[in-house]
Amino acid sequence: MRDYDVIVIGAGNGGLASAATLAEKGKRVILFEKHNIPGGCGTSFRRGRFEFEIALHQLSHMGTEENPGPLMEQFKRYGIYNEIEWIRIKELFRVNFPDGTGISLPADRKSCEAHLCKEFPGQAEAIGRYFEVVYGFCDQAAAFAAKSAASTGEPGALKKAVMKAGFPRLYPLLAKYAMKSTQEVLDEFFTDPKLQLALSAYWCFMGMPPTRFPFAILAKCTTFYLETKPYYLRGTSMMMNQAIMEAVTRMGGVVRLNCGVQRIILENGKAVGVVDEYGEEYRAKRIISNISPLATYGNLLAPEEVPEAAREYLKPYTVGISALTCFIGLDCPPEEIGFTTSFTLNYESLDANRDFQDAYKLLPESDPLVATCYTVDDPCVSPPGTSIITAGTLKYSGEWEKLPPDQYYEMKYEAGKRIVARLEKMYPGITEHIEEMEIATPLTHMRYLGHPGGAIYGYEQDLMQSVFFFPAESKIPNLEFASGWVNACGFGPNYTYADTLAAKIAKEV
Amino acid sequence: MAKNIRETLLGTLEHGQEIMENIRVMRAVSGDKIPTSSVAKPSEAIHRRELKLVVQSVMDTGRQAKIFRFVSEDGYLPPFEAGQYINLFTQIGGVRTSRPYSISSSPRQRAYYEITVARTKDGFVSDYLLDQVKAGDRFTANGPAGVFRYQPVFHSKKSLFLAGGSGITPMLSMTREILEAGLDRDVVLLYGCRSPEAALYHEELTAYAAAFPNFRYHLVVSDPVEGWDGEKGFLDETLIRRLAPDFAERTSYICGPQVMNDFCKSALEAMGVPEKKIRREMFGARRDIQNEPGWPKELTGDEVFTITVGERKLPAKSGESVLTALERAGVRVNVCCRSGECSLCRVRLVSGDVFLARGMLRRYADEKYGYIHSCKAYPMGDIEIML
Repeated sequence: MRDYDVIVIGAGNGGLASAATLAEKGKRVILFEKHNIPGGCGTSFRRGRFEFEIALHQLSHMGTEENPGPLMEQFKRYGIYNEIEWIRIKELFRVNFPDGTGISLPADRKSCEAHLCKEFPGQAEAIGRYFEVVYGFCDQAAAFAAKSAASTGEPGALKKAVMKAGFPRLYPLLAKYAMKSTQEVLDEFFTDPKLQLALSAYWCFMGMPPTRFPFAILAKCTTFYLETKPYYLRGTSMMMNQAIMEAVTRMGGVVRLNCGVQRIILENGKAVGVVDEYGEEYRAKRIISNISPLATYGNLLAPEEVPEAAREYLKPYTVGISALTCFIGLDCPPEEIGFTTSFTLNYESLDANRDFQDAYKLLPESDPLVATCYTVDDPCVSPPGTSIITAGTLKYSGEWEKLPPDQYYEMKYEAGKRIVARLEKMYPGITEHIEEMEIATPLTHMRYLGHPGGAIYGYEQDLMQSVFFFPAESKIPNLEFASGWVNACGFGPNYTYADTLAAKIAKEV
Repeated sequence: MAKNIRETLLGTLEHGQEIMENIRVMRAVSGDKIPTSSVAKPSEAIHRRELKLVVQSVMDTGRQAKIFRFVSEDGYLPPFEAGQYINLFTQIGGVRTSRPYSISSSPRQRAYYEITVARTKDGFVSDYLLDQVKAGDRFTANGPAGVFRYQPVFHSKKSLFLAGGSGITPMLSMTREILEAGLDRDVVLLYGCRSPEAALYHEELTAYAAAFPNFRYHLVVSDPVEGWDGEKGFLDETLIRRLAPDFAERTSYICGPQVMNDFCKSALEAMGVPEKKIRREMFGARRDIQNEPGWPKELTGDEVFTITVGERKLPAKSGESVLTALERAGVRVNVCCRSGECSLCRVRLVSGDVFLARGMLRRYADEKYGYIHSCKAYPMGDIEIML
């Protein structure tokens, strides 16, 4: 039997960052990962001359040397910031419309607003007001979060009444917008559907269409990317995984790859240790699960060990969306086919909410298409004269789960053909340049991630399940959750969330 | 019930009451969502972590090769793509190892998978399979896996198959699928063998060629015997130009011994065929690693070095992969393709030097942080690794 301060299950972003922060604080920590590589959802794979990124489009929270963001500081603490070549992305994204027009947004508030005003001159005043609201909202949200973190315990009835009356006055933008959908807020400011689509593009990062995508998350994404700048890095997200993993080891932690956890040991209802897949037992004061709460309770505990409170707590939460993605290596540079902004969102109509409904179908139809050409920002991402594009749509796994296995490959290629046909329309000649191509379906994500529904963002990130309602609580003492299932998913949010969680735990163990 | 401060404040937000009410309703109408671990993932119907196989029959081809037909212990075999392999695990004399074998049967039926195993010189696993394995024996395997297959999105409907020796097996699966299912595709198969006697499935392929206009087949013999009036020589540029004059319109697929594989690729490149139209199956590790370009001249392949893994010290021959040395010593290593591509057998090289054979598709980060694919790495001295 081996003793640790903390055991971490799963070397995804949250698990890696938890382990690194704990090791940095001098805690004895061990991190288990059942796969042969660290990274969870964010890894890469090789085909021919290409290495394909699986998850990362744009890293947030980094900031600049002059104005460092929380993630840059975190990576500096781990001693890995300088090990990685960071690539600053110039544009936030490009939205392409069905009529062949499109709009690219620069990654800086002033130029972004100016560009939008130029494109939509009649809306200049509303654009200005909208950005004021987005930034003001985030300021108030940050102020309120700081205040809540400082307060302890439940106030008395009188104080509660005072707070209730004072809240809308102190935080008017929170009170007005925090529980609204992106669509509702955009409708308040704009009528032009193109302008709405240009401003709401981040919905695809969370897998919820504008009518369900919380404005609170859109506002945060918008300000974060504008202020801390979007980044990519040389060598795919695997570079961060490997760098953090080495940092864990360097700072005295232990990482076990190819070694999953088969169960969590409970004593008197408290988590006290784990058994790895080979039967070895480990004990710790605290266990951080970076896998989904569903898999933690469902797979690592016997059914009778799962607290009733956990079953009750998770009832309103619905497993979220998966994806259908083509990873494409081309034997030509991006300019040859006219790809100019790395991250693009492409619409078949101006009604994103309608088009999103096709995500429930088996094959891509009018689904909004996300296409990223990594070579635009980093020509070294693949050999000279080649380029890498990942293109795909969000997809629920339901229809794929029902598909008879015999038809799986046929349908997978049909899906690939449809996505390539969409690209061909926008970038004529692209098909002829394909040198390597793999297609990942919701079942592929399910296979590698082990997530129900092949979910790539955890639970549905809508108004009822995110922002104020993430299922972050554990119902077993000494067990905590760190993954994107229990907070805003994404690289930046996950690393920083896990860092905060681990710092709190470090004080307690 | 008195609301706590959180709910009280959230209730003051626009829509706050409504959304919290929706959550309460959702909770009331939803059942338990925590699964039990005994429920199989739907993706298991396509990809299993492990296949449990039983040998149903062993058929001797009479050509130094046997056909092994496997059925599944639980009756279910996942679908696969013609050209894919399974990695078959064996326990021989206390050593657990594995070998990738292309499935030679058609993917249009999944009652069984067939693999065809040819005798190789000093073949540790092939000797065992050919000499000892019988109907009823049980194996585990992973897969089906691999990307040596027809990819309809960008491959040409016209194919050129270049096979050598037992490299015919994936082509056989592809051919059977195309012809038996009547697919709209066109194939020229050039099969290089030492002698007509060594050619596997020659009669079946000849019969297909006679019956199907969209399938042409030529056996090309390198060491012809008296009386052989078929094609002679190697699968070189002249031969390919003559037998597949429309080669430029075709996607080419190469599978066979390393030397033949390299030879055919060079020939196609010399003919101006771009990389995207050349698909290759890298089949395991070559046995004569000393002949690999770049092999350190000072080593014979017989030197014995020491591999340190944690507390353990293991002997390792310079001419054998690190993976083989680990398996021989009973060290547990994750593995699948054994050809440098899948990265499952990656280990960290802590110290010492290794010779890295071609074909290792390594991630950028792995190169930076000193990870190697142990199936393609050969010790050049004492080394230390981390699993």
